[in-house]
Amino acid sequence: MKNYWVLLGAFGSGKSELALNMAIRAAKNGPCTLVDLDVINPYFRTSERGDVLEPAGVELIMPPFALDKIEILSLSARVYSAFTPGEGSVFFDIGGDHVGSVALGQYKPHFSKIPKENLHVLFIVNPMRPTAADLESAYATLEKIKFVSRLDVTGIVNNGNLAGETDYTHLIEGYELVKALSERTGIPVWGTCGTQSVLDDFDVYAKEHGLDERYIGVRQPIEVMMHRSWEKFLNEGL
Amino acid sequence: MAKKLMKGCEAIAEAAIQAGCRYFFGYPITPQNDIPEYMSLRLPQVGGCFLQAESELAAINMVYGAGGAGARVMTSSSSPGISLKQEGISTIAGAEVPCVIVNMMRGGPGLGNIQASQGDYFQAVKGGGHGDYRCVVYAPSSIQETVDMMPKAFDTADKYRIPVIILADGLIGQMMEPVELHMNPNPTMPEKPWAAQGWDPKGTRPRAVINSLYIETEDLDTLMTRLNARYEEIKKNEIMVEKYHTEGTEYILCAYGTVARVCKAAVRILEENGIKAGLVRPITLWPFPTQDVHDVFAQESVKAGLTVEISNGQMVEDIRLAVNGIKPVEFMGKGGSIIPSAEDIAERIMQMRRA
Repeated sequence: MKNYWVLLGAFGSGKSELALNMAIRAAKNGPCTLVDLDVINPYFRTSERGDVLEPAGVELIMPPFALDKIEILSLSARVYSAFTPGEGSVFFDIGGDHVGSVALGQYKPHFSKIPKENLHVLFIVNPMRPTAADLESAYATLEKIKFVSRLDVTGIVNNGNLAGETDYTHLIEGYELVKALSERTGIPVWGTCGTQSVLDDFDVYAKEHGLDERYIGVRQPIEVMMHRSWEKFLNEGL
Repeated sequence: MAKKLMKGCEAIAEAAIQAGCRYFFGYPITPQNDIPEYMSLRLPQVGGCFLQAESELAAINMVYGAGGAGARVMTSSSSPGISLKQEGISTIAGAEVPCVIVNMMRGGPGLGNIQASQGDYFQAVKGGGHGDYRCVVYAPSSIQETVDMMPKAFDTADKYRIPVIILADGLIGQMMEPVELHMNPNPTMPEKPWAAQGWDPKGTRPRAVINSLYIETEDLDTLMTRLNARYEEIKKNEIMVEKYHTEGTEYILCAYGTVARVCKAAVRILEENGIKAGLVRPITLWPFPTQDVHDVFAQESVKAGLTVEISNGQMVEDIRLAVNGIKPVEFMGKGGSIIPSAEDIAERIMQMRRA
């Protein structure tokens, strides 16, 4: 049975970055497919990272014309192939906010056939983003996304970061937010992500200050591949 | 306030709100859609009004109305949409109504593409719409600079009753950077006794009429004389320019917006290779820093200049006018959306040096 991972969250919360990292890691242990279901943004798509996905053994399903920089994207019929029986992992990278999650609604009949233990729906949180900075806005986004995606969120992810200026304090802010969100919703915290060095610093702090392990979860080290930094623009354009 | 991770479009929208903008009228186009998107979320929270108009023409005329009533108002678009707004911008200039217009330039002409470009320099700086008018044009080169510039943009618009254009490009709109916002929940608004806010039958204030139609020659002449005096005042007070490593240098790069950022990297490469180079970056494109550019080039040490743009060469004309033939000025750039690399720019200077 395949394991399905759906990554949801506010716009700019880091869904694509995490999807890329998780897919590349999962491909080491079996077949792996990454489905780009972002219908919101013509820029910064996981589809653009075919250069790292293909050598890593990740099958990429992207919208037709995704790399043509056009403004309206449609969804590929190949998405359905992700639901065929088999082994390995499938990752769904979804557009931001509830408007992006709409793309998922039509696959409800397929998602509902997946056994609970094989379907992981993660809600990514970055408190450094102004539209998701506090409990109320994160909660409102979560509720709206749940409604339009027609999926139950199974885990919350702390992705506190300030791009190139990230340090462990941003994960501390994220910790406070995912803890509050988890307490409010009853949804467990699945994990905490960041570059390895930031995660290490955060772990030291967590131990010293006795942070609750339940709200930290899996440490998910990531390599930055997606971020729309100035340097990336210079080399690759928009 | 601590830094937030923001997309350029979002940061511009929030900075406008912090500068007192409470009205936004627009029509969607990539790569600036995140501005109206953000405004639609935030303006109702601060007691403002966001409205997606039925067209660019409608949007700019709503800006005319709100600005004429004395509100701080903004619209944004990207190149083809800004073309559609030109008639309204000319009207706004003629009617002396303050407003802020953001252009996230994309490739043109026509529908072009949705990548970053600098092809709208002429349109923004030399007119665009018909008639003898000017807009103040700011050209930020980073998200932080754009944010810092927004209060100034609204203040300048109000002070001189003039449309102000923020001429950025798709890069600034779509890039995400840590940015520090200046939160200002109660921005001070200047008095606008000229604004049309309803006639008072008791006659306690003169009737306010917002209009750009002056049928009598003498009346239009009065307006033009008034506008011209104001433009001269703006040239005296509002020029902004950055000079980077220009003192005693041999080669001068000239660029604005994001390309200026690439040029700074080129200056560093050249300096590492023992070549004295610097950058002049106009921050206001109108009024243009003519004297500053001239003075930099007039230094004895300066041998030549190179203007770099994401266009077929537009600002280079103003640079050459400013330099006025005292030193050669070459051009590097392409129409469309090809951004030259820092290495390419440095290499071009090295070629000029060998020649």
